[in-house]
Amino acid sequence: MTSLRRLVVALLAGFVAPATALAQTVQNPTLRRAQQAYDNLEYRQVLTLAQAALRERLTGPERARAYELLGFTYGAMDSILKAVDAFKQVVLIDPERQLDPNRVSPKAYSAFDVALRQVLLVRQLRVDSTSFVGGQGAVPIRFTVTQPARVVTRAVGSEGSFLIDSSAWNGQVNLTWPARLANGDPVPAGSYTVVVDARLGQNTFAASQPVRLSHGRVDTLAHLTSLPGYEYLPETEVPPQSWRPLGLAFLYTGGAVVGTVGLESSSLGSGSKRELAVVGGAALVTGLVMTLRKPAPRPAAANILYNRLLRDQIARRNQEIAKENVARRQQVQLTVVPLPKPGAAGVR
Amino acid sequence: MRPAAAAVLFVLGQAAPAQEITIGPQAVLASYREVVSGLRYAGFGFGGAMSVRFHKLSVDGVVTRVKLDTADGSAATQSFTATQFDVWVGYDVAPYASLEVGIIRRTADPELDAQSVGAVRLGARSFYEIGPGATILFRANYLAAPKFSGGGRAPFSLDLGLGLDVRLAGRLRGTAAYAFQRINRKTSPGSTGEIDAPIQETVGRVGLALAF
Repeated sequence: MTSLRRLVVALLAGFVAPATALAQTVQNPTLRRAQQAYDNLEYRQVLTLAQAALRERLTGPERARAYELLGFTYGAMDSILKAVDAFKQVVLIDPERQLDPNRVSPKAYSAFDVALRQVLLVRQLRVDSTSFVGGQGAVPIRFTVTQPARVVTRAVGSEGSFLIDSSAWNGQVNLTWPARLANGDPVPAGSYTVVVDARLGQNTFAASQPVRLSHGRVDTLAHLTSLPGYEYLPETEVPPQSWRPLGLAFLYTGGAVVGTVGLESSSLGSGSKRELAVVGGAALVTGLVMTLRKPAPRPAAANILYNRLLRDQIARRNQEIAKENVARRQQVQLTVVPLPKPGAAGVR
Repeated sequence: MRPAAAAVLFVLGQAAPAQEITIGPQAVLASYREVVSGLRYAGFGFGGAMSVRFHKLSVDGVVTRVKLDTADGSAATQSFTATQFDVWVGYDVAPYASLEVGIIRRTADPELDAQSVGAVRLGARSFYEIGPGATILFRANYLAAPKFSGGGRAPFSLDLGLGLDVRLAGRLRGTAAYAFQRINRKTSPGSTGEIDAPIQETVGRVGLALAF
């Protein structure tokens, strides 16, 4: 395959592709013939048939399609200015019309792009679904203005009209609407239409997007019973078994024995020490028993202190949560959902 | 700082209950020697002990009454009954140590068969909990300003003690105590000048006590 033939095939693919989506919806026979001629690359005939179709009674999408065929055809015939004019008609009929740069020829796409910049349009108006606490968030609004213009954005509903923004814009615009009244209260629940009015001299253009705004209760926070990552420690611990009790008994008894022997008067002689034997023996036996006995659990001072700090921390956090819940019960959760535009189900 | 203070308080709390009263009877074994090795007695008797503790302050009192008979080979011919009162007032200066003052008063009946003595105690004691409810104690007291029924003086007098307190069940305690007393009494009976008339006593007490 030569490079020329490959180019022709590529152009064919680019020009034919946009037509396929709409081919089935076209009812006007003249327009259908124009579409067929375009598919057969019979450009002269496309021009004749499309212009003839435009003189007939067409639906909006059919009219846009007829101009689009003219635009593509003039583009293919290198009549760029005429292509631009045709595409201007397309976007005036269907402002949301978008060409896929990967599927149409560069000539047609650039002509479409020039046409867009020569007409004042508000395109791709989008209001994102969102949910926020009144006063702590905003509704994001995006749109594109094709020419520098004074743009006024409003939310219009049965409860009134609320100005969102009034500025000079060009190109991609990102706005936020806090959905609040002048006194700070949230706007009433209901259906609203976000209307974007663009004005440039005598030219005006408006786009709209209906939304539903509902009120709800703000979720309250649950009280804490523990802190993540922190657990209560056992407040008692079993000390390791040791010879300490017997050692202490030996030490204390030994002190008594040494003291007695050392202090005995030489002139009085040495006594029987039966009293010392009884009490000292009792002390040693007690020491031995305490040594062999399994140690009783004893309070773990550090753990008790740690648990107390943890309890204090949880109590403090719960106090904050309770305070925050009081505030939350007085707040309103605003939920905004965009609604389908009337007649948007049809093909553009 | 706070954990350290809490730990000290904890140890103090373990070593010394905040408020406690114990009282109970005791069986007493005693040996008594006076002046010379040939003058020796041994006997058995009864007594009672009471102890009051309030935080770091403690008061202990013991009363014993022992009939001291002449021991085998003793030169003594007459037995006598010794009644002794001991009181200690202690203040904890550490988790295991107290300073204490007190008095001792021992009387003999018949009065002339042995020396009656009274003195002031000055000393210290060390105590340690060797197990759950089991405390061992060692004390050393200097007996100051002793007075004797037969006159004389004692430039050096010492009293050593060993004690044991074991919780048997609930409020019931088992107690045992040993005391060794050495009094270097000197007396001037006449023109012979000052002579030594030492007194040495050992007492062993075993008993029960109720704690409140």
